[in-house]
Amino acid sequence: MTRAATRLSWLATLLIAAGCATTGSDGNDASSVPSWTTRAIPEARGDIRTLPNGKREALRYAGWAKTDFSRFRTYAYADARGEVPVQRATMPPGVTGDPKKGRALFLARAKGPCTGCHLIPGDDVWPAGNVGPDLSTIADRRLTNDYLYQQIYDPRLIFPQTSMPPWGATGAFTPEEIVHVVAFLQTLKGPPPPEKDADRNPATRPKPVGFGDNLDPTNNPAVLLAEGAETQWNAKGAAGKACADCHAGGADAAMKGVAVRYPRFVARYRRVMGIEDFLTVHGPETTGTPLPSESDANMNLTILVKMASNGMPVAIDTQSPPARAALARGRAAFYRRVGERDHACADCHTPEKGANKFLGGRFLVEVTTGMTRHFPTWRTSQNQVWDMRKRMQWCMTPLGTNMLPADAIEYAELELYLTSFDVGKPMSVPGIRH
Amino acid sequence: MSDIGKVRVRIPSSIKAGDVVRVRTLVLHPMERIERDAQGKIIDRKYNYITKMTVTYLGKTVVLFDTTQSVSENPFFSFAVKATDPGQLKVTFTDTAGGRYEGTAEIKFS
Amino acid sequence: MGDDHRMTRRSVLGALGVLGASAATGALAVPDRATAQALGAQETVDAGLKRVFGGRPIKDGGGLIKLDIPLIAENGAVVPVSVEVNSPMTPANYVKHIYIVADKNRIPIVTRVALAPEAGQAYVGANIRLGETTDVRAIVEQSDGTLLQAKREVKVTVGGCGG
Repeated sequence: MTRAATRLSWLATLLIAAGCATTGSDGNDASSVPSWTTRAIPEARGDIRTLPNGKREALRYAGWAKTDFSRFRTYAYADARGEVPVQRATMPPGVTGDPKKGRALFLARAKGPCTGCHLIPGDDVWPAGNVGPDLSTIADRRLTNDYLYQQIYDPRLIFPQTSMPPWGATGAFTPEEIVHVVAFLQTLKGPPPPEKDADRNPATRPKPVGFGDNLDPTNNPAVLLAEGAETQWNAKGAAGKACADCHAGGADAAMKGVAVRYPRFVARYRRVMGIEDFLTVHGPETTGTPLPSESDANMNLTILVKMASNGMPVAIDTQSPPARAALARGRAAFYRRVGERDHACADCHTPEKGANKFLGGRFLVEVTTGMTRHFPTWRTSQNQVWDMRKRMQWCMTPLGTNMLPADAIEYAELELYLTSFDVGKPMSVPGIRH
Repeated sequence: MSDIGKVRVRIPSSIKAGDVVRVRTLVLHPMERIERDAQGKIIDRKYNYITKMTVTYLGKTVVLFDTTQSVSENPFFSFAVKATDPGQLKVTFTDTAGGRYEGTAEIKFS
Repeated sequence: MGDDHRMTRRSVLGALGVLGASAATGALAVPDRATAQALGAQETVDAGLKRVFGGRPIKDGGGLIKLDIPLIAENGAVVPVSVEVNSPMTPANYVKHIYIVADKNRIPIVTRVALAPEAGQAYVGANIRLGETTDVRAIVEQSDGTLLQAKREVKVTVGGCGG
C-alpha cells in the first residue's frame, strides 16, 4: 500500500471504530438511554408467556394476534441482532408446481397476502395493492422459474434495497409453497382481461375520503367520551389532591399550549416522554392516582390535555443536545428493518417505497405530511380510542416482531421523530380514522 | 362502557322560522348483536342493541327510527325537522336491555 | 334455558313498549314493540323484502331518490348512508317510510324510518354495518302506498394490516 492509502485506511478504521462505540447496529448512541421499567397495563407491556404445553405466546390486547416472534429483531435498542441474513436459494427438486395451489397461496391473508402489494387478474381479487408491481402479465417477461423462486424466497439478493419480505428465508413460506406460487405466476400471460371496475385496480381506485369532522361530537364518539375526562381532572386521588388543585382554571385554560411541546426530553427521568408517558409518573407522585399506559384514565387525561392545544401549531424541541440525540435514534428506528417481514416504517411511509400507494385496501400515508397531531384518535374499525403507542404496537403484527411496552423509550423517540414532521401544523385531537 | 347512553344532538346555530333543519344525533352504545352458532342457534350471552329512536318536537313524534343490529356501534342518525315554532326537540333511544336514553336541543329563532 | 331467558326479557320489554306507545301522541303512531322486534331478522334479502312488503311491486325510484353512500367503505363497521327523497311532504303527499336494506347482511333490513309531514323534508342518515361487499338499497313508501327503490353497490374493504 502507498503511504497515502495507509493513512486513509487508518483514518477510515478510526472513523468506523468511533461509529461502532455504541449499542445497536444502527450506529446511533443509545448508551445514555436509561433502562425503563414499564408502567403499562398488563396487555400493553409486550410480555411473552410460556403456556403449560411449552408453547410461547405474546400477551397482548383482547382480540390481537398472540404469535411469538422472538426469533426476529425488535425495535429494542438493546436488541443488537441483525436482519435475517440474505440467502441464495435453489428450487427444491421433485416438487411439481400447482398453479391452483399457487393462486390460493397468493390470495391467502394468513400468508401475505401477496395481493397486499401486487395486483393480479380476477374478480375475486379485492382489494389488491400497488406497493409492488402489477404482476398480471408477469409470465410474458419469460423469467426463469429459478429467478422467480429466488425473488420470492429472498428478493434482497436480486434487489438489495427492496421492501419485499424474504418469505422463504424467514420461513413464512415453505420451499414447496414457493414452487406453487412460481407455477401460478408463470400462467399470468397477457393480454390481461379488460378491467370492468376502476376500483379493482389500485392505480385507478379513488383515495379514501376519511370520516369527516373529527371535532363534531355527533360524528366522533371520542369527543363525547372526552367530556368525562374533566371529572377525572377534578377528582381527588389517594394523596388527597386533584389535577385541578395545582392546575387551576379548568383543564382547557391550564393546559393550553402544553401538549404542543410533547414528546420532549424530561431531564428528571433522563428520557423522552409523550404526554401518556409523563402521566404515568406524574399522576402517582402528585395526586396519588396511578395512570398506567393504555389505561382508560391515562388515555382520557391525555386527550383532555391535548384538546387544550387544539388549533395551536406543534412546537417540539428539536434543537437541544438531548433532543438531537433522541431524534437521531428515532430516525434510525424509522429506518430499522425488523421482524419476520424485514420491514421498516420507511417501507410503508416514505414515497420512495409505499407511501401514497395502496397496501391492500389501505392507503399508506407519507410521513412528511405529519402523522401525529390527530392522536389519540378514534378508530372506526375498532370502535375505540387509540393513542400513538397502541397504533405502533398494532403495526408490530404485520411486521412480524414482538411489541415493546407502550411506554418504551424506543417508541417515545420514534414518536419524537414522527412529530418533527408535524412542527408548525395545528393540533386536532381526538382524530377519527379507519 | 360506563358512558353508554350519552347522547349529543346538533342543530344549526342559526335557524329562521319555517326553516327545514337537519339534525344530527349520536349516542354512545355498544350495539351488541345476538350471536349465533354455525347452525343459526342463538348463543346464550347478553346482547344489547338499540331498537328505536323517537324524535319529538313540540310534543309530537315527527320521526321514528326502528333500528336493527345492522346499525353501527355508537349509532349516528340524522333527519330533518321543519322548525315552525321555538321549542324543544327531543330524541329518545330504547335498547333491548330496557335502557332509555334522551337528548335534547332547543330550537330558537335568530 | 336460553329461549326461556329471552321470553322473560321480552315480556318485561313488552310492558315498557306499551308505556312508550301511550306516552308519545300525535304526528306518528308509534308502532308496537312486537313490530319493532320483527323488523330485524336473520334471513335472505328476498325473504326479508317479501316479509315486509308482501308481494307489492317496488318500482325504480332513481329519479326521486338520492342515495348517498360511499362506493368503497374503508371498513364495514361504520358506513355512512343518507337518503333524500324529492317529496313535497304535505299531508296529502309525503314520504311515510324510508327503509335501508343491505342485501348481503346477516340481517338485511337495517332500519325503517317513519316520517310525518312535520319533518318538512324526506331526509334520513345513519351509520350502518356491512358484513361484506353488497348492494345497499333505499326503499321508500309514499303516503299513497307506492314503493320506490334506489340501490348502489358498496365495496367493503375487509380487514387490514395487523390482523
